Amino acid sequence: MFATYLIGLREGLEATLVVSILVAFLVKSQRRDRLPQVWAGVGLAVVLSVVFGWLIEYTSTSLLARSEDRELFEAVTSVAAVVFVTWMIFWMRKAARTIAGELRGKLTEALAVGSLAVAGMAFLAVIREGLETALIFYSAAQSAAGGTGAGALLSLAGGVATAVVIGFLLYRSALKINLSKFFTWTGALLILVAAGILKYGVHDFQEAGVLPGLNNQAFDISSTLDPNAWYGALLAGMFNITAAPTVLETIAWVAFAVPVLVLFLRKPAAPARPAAPAAPPASAAAPEPTPAGDAATTPAEPAATEASTDTAPQRA
Amino acid sequence: MRTTRFVVPAAAGVLVVAGLTGCGGGDDSDAKAGGPIAVKATDSACEVDSTEIEAGQVTFKVTNSGSKVNEFYVYAAGDRVMGEVENIAPGLSRELRVELPAGTYETACKPGMSGRGIRGALKVSGTVATVAPDAALGQATASYQRYVQSQTAALLTRTEEFVAAVKANDVARAKDLYPVARTYWERIEPVAESFGDLDPKIDGREEVVEEGMQFTGFHRIEKDLWTTGDISKDGAIADQLLVDVKAIVAKANAEKLTPLQLANGAKALLDEVASGKITGEEERYSHTDLWDFNANLEGSKAAIAALRPALEQRSPDLVKQLDTEFAAVEAALGKHRAGDGWKLHTQLSKAELKELSDSINALAEPISKVAAVVAR
Repeated sequence: MFATYLIGLREGLEATLVVSILVAFLVKSQRRDRLPQVWAGVGLAVVLSVVFGWLIEYTSTSLLARSEDRELFEAVTSVAAVVFVTWMIFWMRKAARTIAGELRGKLTEALAVGSLAVAGMAFLAVIREGLETALIFYSAAQSAAGGTGAGALLSLAGGVATAVVIGFLLYRSALKINLSKFFTWTGALLILVAAGILKYGVHDFQEAGVLPGLNNQAFDISSTLDPNAWYGALLAGMFNITAAPTVLETIAWVAFAVPVLVLFLRKPAAPARPAAPAAPPASAAAPEPTPAGDAATTPAEPAATEASTDTAPQRA
Repeated sequence: MRTTRFVVPAAAGVLVVAGLTGCGGGDDSDAKAGGPIAVKATDSACEVDSTEIEAGQVTFKVTNSGSKVNEFYVYAAGDRVMGEVENIAPGLSRELRVELPAGTYETACKPGMSGRGIRGALKVSGTVATVAPDAALGQATASYQRYVQSQTAALLTRTEEFVAAVKANDVARAKDLYPVARTYWERIEPVAESFGDLDPKIDGREEVVEEGMQFTGFHRIEKDLWTTGDISKDGAIADQLLVDVKAIVAKANAEKLTPLQLANGAKALLDEVASGKITGEEERYSHTDLWDFNANLEGSKAAIAALRPALEQRSPDLVKQLDTEFAAVEAALGKHRAGDGWKLHTQLSKAELKELSDSINALAEPISKVAAVVAR
């Protein structure tokens, strides 16, 4: 049962991680108005996965019924997700820079977030693994219906639920750290996640036969990193760190993570300092409570704790 | 469904790559009257209900009665994945639908999701025609084309990094990047060599001076890196190298190779190994010849892999021989790994070099027959 639980956890994490960082980012940069689009993207992806999974499992559709086509589908959506997430990473860098040097009030203008982009990112993050997850659920549901007990179904659901909880905890702890640290850390975390998604996409392209070298392994540490252990599932779900990657996916990972990290962490040129005292931030009021229930911890005004910046003196 | 329009053409592309004739969409007439083939997977066994089946659309129903998560694969020769289903949780069944033309395959269960899995033979016979020979050759060039594209992209990236290191006067980093960037170059050298002047500009050794050319490119920088350690004046050379590499990448990606060129390229790469790498002549300053050796070998293997479906149809015995000899060379070369790179040429004894040379010659023999088989 534990093995089944881990499948749910791994598949769930692959989707929730990006979504929870995205939500935290929007909340932190005072763009709560974009949250409905996030949930719309997530919802659409879930519905599509469920419907498609059902079609494949219970009807004789030939669309995406072949495993190769599904690999290709996952590969394409993964690579598309990487594009979106990369864009978000640099968006964060911009945000971090805006905070570091300028008026925090300008933050919202600097981040003119396209609603379609936000919805698209959430959608892609979930649809990537949604179809496969739906299919696993159907196979468990069938066995439950067949009278072998509902254990597998519960384990899977438990795994996905745990992933959602981890995502939520990540979101909560992200809200607690101060603003410029937040952008730096979540951005760096997101780079590792995105590199993992890209690596995953490359691997799927190889499995679909579009890219060569599936059996050309860079290394094999299955003996140390057991894919059946909880830590193996966590590493695979969060950063897609696997025990026996192919050379090509390893190259893809490095070729993405290294330059992007370097670009991201590069010291930005000091922006011009405004001579006049800063205007009050646009909306520093406490955010209205959300269903997520984070009203309990209204983030303290970052300026209070920020040694790294020289924003205007703190307002009472 | 919006996804439909885009997945089906893509899927059709995949079908072509896999060497199948089926169409991505359309009717789903199960070729099997008896429904899906049952596969019983446990932590230590993999029982496939029928191992001799009819060609066409095949469905496997894999039931995992072990305690570990399982995966099920169908492999064609050379471990080409025909289809796979992952995440089969203990106690559950999942289906794999795959289209199989006549031929011999291997099935594999992978309890615990790692390793080569528990293999079994699968014989597929029947009337679903395999691809017409010419189509097989057409696919060969298309799939090699994709290989070239992936390698040239990496070549460009690595060369850019190398050039940046040279211009930053970072000797240590440039030395590290040098054999890596060269790897991608050496893998596709025959393609690159078909573009006249660019090849000597990028990859020429000091002797090009005798032909009235300037000594530029990789080896010029190599010489400075490893002899004087002074690359402070190499900025212009590095810039030119990048310009040339960019030009060759653009050309290589636009080039349509014929199957015969593939066959000859595979052979040319081995000749490269014999004439330049075994002798230590290519990387005379850095002694990183084994990186190039390995890359030439991989490039040769990629060309043969692309031709494989066509060769299988025309000369299955030759394919077996090639597999054996490739494995032998890889084993001989594998002894000289050092970390994630290779030993230097200077660290190899005469006897070791001779062993490498013999294994290359043994492989060159069947490779030299490939062109004739392709031209039939």
